[in-house]
Amino acid sequence: MEAISGLITGFGVILTPSNIMLCLLGSFVGTMIGVLPGIGPLAALALLLPVTFSLPPVAGVVMLAAIFYGAMYGGSTTSILLNIPGEAASVVTCRDGYQMARQGRAGAALGVAAFGSFVAGTLSVIALTFFAPILGVIALRFGPPENVALMVLGLVCTLYMISGSTLKGLTMIALGVLLAMIGTDVVSGNERFTFGSINLSAGLDLLAIVIGLFGVSEILANVEKISKNTLLAEKIKGLFPTKEDWKASIGPMLRGSGLGFLLGLVPGGGPITASFISYAVEQKVAKDPSRFGKGAIEGVAGPESANNAAVGGGMIPVLSLGIPGTPVTALLLGALVIQGIQPGPLFMQQRPDLFWGIVASMYIGNVFLLILNLPLVGLWVQLLRVPYRVLFPIVLMLSVVGTYSSNKNVFDLWVMLAFGVAGYVLRKLEYDLAPFLIAFVLAPLLEQSLRQSLVMSPDGIMIMLQRPIAATLIVISFVLVALMIRRGLKPRETGGVINEVHQ
Amino acid sequence: MKFINKALALGAALGLAALAGPALAQGTNAELVKAKPAGFPTQPIEMTVVYPAGGGADLTARLLGKTMEQLSGSRILVNNRTGGAGMVGHAWLATQAPTDGTAIGMLVNLVWGDSMLRAQGRWSHTDLEPIGYLNSDPMVWFVTTDGPFKDKTAAQVIQAAKEKPGTIRVATVPGSMWDYNIEQVEAQTGAKFLRVPFQSGGAGVVGLIGNNVDVALGFYAEAKPHMDSGKVRGVGVAAGERLAHLKDVPTLNEALNGKEYLWTLLRFVVVPKATPADRKAYLAAMVKAAMQDQGLRDEYAKLGVYFDPTLEKAANITEALNKEAEREREFYVKTGRLK
Repeated sequence: MEAISGLITGFGVILTPSNIMLCLLGSFVGTMIGVLPGIGPLAALALLLPVTFSLPPVAGVVMLAAIFYGAMYGGSTTSILLNIPGEAASVVTCRDGYQMARQGRAGAALGVAAFGSFVAGTLSVIALTFFAPILGVIALRFGPPENVALMVLGLVCTLYMISGSTLKGLTMIALGVLLAMIGTDVVSGNERFTFGSINLSAGLDLLAIVIGLFGVSEILANVEKISKNTLLAEKIKGLFPTKEDWKASIGPMLRGSGLGFLLGLVPGGGPITASFISYAVEQKVAKDPSRFGKGAIEGVAGPESANNAAVGGGMIPVLSLGIPGTPVTALLLGALVIQGIQPGPLFMQQRPDLFWGIVASMYIGNVFLLILNLPLVGLWVQLLRVPYRVLFPIVLMLSVVGTYSSNKNVFDLWVMLAFGVAGYVLRKLEYDLAPFLIAFVLAPLLEQSLRQSLVMSPDGIMIMLQRPIAATLIVISFVLVALMIRRGLKPRETGGVINEVHQ
Repeated sequence: MKFINKALALGAALGLAALAGPALAQGTNAELVKAKPAGFPTQPIEMTVVYPAGGGADLTARLLGKTMEQLSGSRILVNNRTGGAGMVGHAWLATQAPTDGTAIGMLVNLVWGDSMLRAQGRWSHTDLEPIGYLNSDPMVWFVTTDGPFKDKTAAQVIQAAKEKPGTIRVATVPGSMWDYNIEQVEAQTGAKFLRVPFQSGGAGVVGLIGNNVDVALGFYAEAKPHMDSGKVRGVGVAAGERLAHLKDVPTLNEALNGKEYLWTLLRFVVVPKATPADRKAYLAAMVKAAMQDQGLRDEYAKLGVYFDPTLEKAANITEALNKEAEREREFYVKTGRLK
């Protein structure tokens, strides 16, 4: 087996004290970055990029990659404990993770998130090991029409996870799509809805929105409940998941891994989309969907596995084709290029030491992360004992620093603040915020791909049905919508943000 | 307080890592150290990059910053001020950057189009003075080696777009030199392409490999891995002469018998115009010394760039680059984009 011998080469390359140390350092920094709300993997990688110039190529990329997947591990921590996502791919984890924490089951949620991340991370590296060359081609199969179909499917899945009023959920989706229109027109290159502001010419910054909508507004919502001193609602019931928890989680973990991996492969996918779709899938297959949003462990296990698997999947087009799907993978690619290494179709043959070294390091990194994260569960849970008056100013400060550091543009802070206030008002009015975010993420690629498709197509919109992958995804979307209509567009009895406001 | 401890630990880790910086050039350049004007601020010089970390412009700037720092002994920080496809950073440099010599910018010539067509008088590239030239990256026309143009020349590709107007799909980046290059070819030859918009040249090359377009315009580095694997080949370069790393690819001017097909990404360093003259001269000397460093040139060569001899040897780089900007303005006037 070529893959096995390659992997042995890879472990040979990676098992040196300095490489192991850098992998450990990357995992640790990544976890911290994931935990700290506001500071995302992109800002951290940009900061550390110059450091890799002086390192050997393997060492540099091993460290940066470890930061990336480490951030996916850590991202769930504040989602679960504080209802504030550590980064955008952990927004859905807030729903059930935070509810579990309120029921005193924060330890179980954190444990399942860490273990799910491990399972997904490892499975996706195994898939990467054996199928990288074959799977790389899938990324190329996703031209503009396929992207349109995928984005449509993503939006349809979002319909399923709306909690509370369907109308309000649809309103939020529409709002997300509309706000994503601000910026530069993808076809003509003209500015639109910018009102002459240079700051709006690239649209609103995703990070500023996530931090504002989910972080700042959560702090505002908590400040009014200041009578309670700490977040801890009840006594912590055990630090680790129970046998039943494991049994309920293993299915979602495996499904999340598969789904996340496949979505990571394609340009429009990535960790954010993967986590949302995984949540919708888990809700759909659950025997009792009404538990979702009220502390269903599947709602933590699925998305947290999916976002980690998407990282593994996302490495495939980068390493086998030199095509980055997300800004973070673009940065990883940059780190290689600056070393004079251009990943591409020949990368595996020309530099097997590097290719397999990176792959092998991901096995080791995932083990490190599990070892780092499981013992930390007990420690993180103690965070709930920290009084509000100490905790929230720190979180707010980190939010400001994180938002500013990504673009160094003060305007982003105003965006963060505005979305913080808007988020607070919308929570009060019982609007679900998650659909807004996923719509905002999907809309730009949907628009661009749709317009590209229409330019390319001699038969107009029919191009969507002439290409097999696109046609399949579109048919699935239509079936899902039909099922939803048959259900009578009735909202499911779910909790999440809505119930919480009532309490 | 675990949270604070962790935050501190992170800060420490990042700080330590930053200290372990690389060494491109070895030791300082004594002349450069002496040339530092009296009263030059002691705080670090901030080099602004208007594109995100990890991209071509960012890598170019970080390598330059390191070398300048090594040679001069002055601390240099690279800062990405991103947004609006460069607009936010350009505007900041032109209107808000400090003029005491602590602000410099590594720009690409897309700043001219931004300033002339989109700034709407809010700022101008003339508020920034070019002080040093780094390198160039000419536009290359690519086709696949198994597609409809596998064995065709640039002239034949364009002939096909003339015979079957509006059917040959070409990847472009709207409102930028990609578009202008195609437009120029169409105007001169009577060909008509079907332009499919992409976000960048690199995305267009991916579209080409995925068979979603027939021709893609992009830069050498964006297509290199696919050229090495034999999937993609260049048919024309929008430059005055053939490139050393693409010897077999004719220029568009050769292929189409013209001389106006010159579309190149130029990278250069600017300072705000109001910066004192002696500090400008010091900063310019820093860039020049760095660009003579063989280590840096080798790093740049790895990125697949081209050193334009006329700009490298220009006696007055400010004038030479302003002349390039003027040529771009003429194109905008000629095509009715600018009055």
